[in-house]
Amino acid sequence: MLHAKVIEIKKEKIEISRAEQFVASSKFGASIFFTGTVRDVNENKKVTGITYDSHDDLVIKSFEEIYKEVDEKLHIKDKAVFIEHVKGYVRLGEISIVIAVACPHRSEAYDLSRYIIEEIKKRSPIWKKEHYENEESEWLKGNPIQTN
Amino acid sequence: MKIKLELFGASRDLSNKDYLEFNIDEKSSIKELRKKLINYVDDKFKGNYNFKKIIETSTFCSEDNNIVSDNYKIIKDKKIGIIPPIGGG
Repeated sequence: MLHAKVIEIKKEKIEISRAEQFVASSKFGASIFFTGTVRDVNENKKVTGITYDSHDDLVIKSFEEIYKEVDEKLHIKDKAVFIEHVKGYVRLGEISIVIAVACPHRSEAYDLSRYIIEEIKKRSPIWKKEHYENEESEWLKGNPIQTN
Repeated sequence: MKIKLELFGASRDLSNKDYLEFNIDEKSSIKELRKKLINYVDDKFKGNYNFKKIIETSTFCSEDNNIVSDNYKIIKDKKIGIIPPIGGG
């Protein structure tokens, strides 16, 4: 069971409560909620916010591929996965990504949550433009996309 | 033929719009489109080093949302996306 969405922050909010509702089930004994938030300092520069850009269709496709391959790579068949990533301007301390996973047991929930965020970092076409206290801004360098 | 190159991430600095348009020969490859882009940066941005680096390290995606190689042939009136190095989350 997967929920995957890019949230246009001008149109709607990213909310953990939606993730809680999605993964709630008596068949799962363990749930992990991961949120990524905008940090105040990066490479000695004071950050005030980040603008996220994304290729929405490819991002959703990458989320679906990551979800599907978990069966084979982590051998986790019974699971609920909720992934939402923001697009647009996010202020300091605000949430940019929510990943919620639920599994029968805690060890697989921890593995699954970690696996998903690491794969998103490598494969999902999302970009960050950081905004700084001195009113300058710059796109972060990032890594060339990895394809399977 | 005319193709539309959709811009994402750092490549958005190449234009005020969300895309660039290029006239290319039919069945040109991504490799040739990349060269066109480099020429565009030479003309419009005096060969800006950072812009060229973005182009050189980017991959491209087809209209049907597949990452494509440099050998991929662009067929009539296609929309192509440039995918600069990524870093979300």
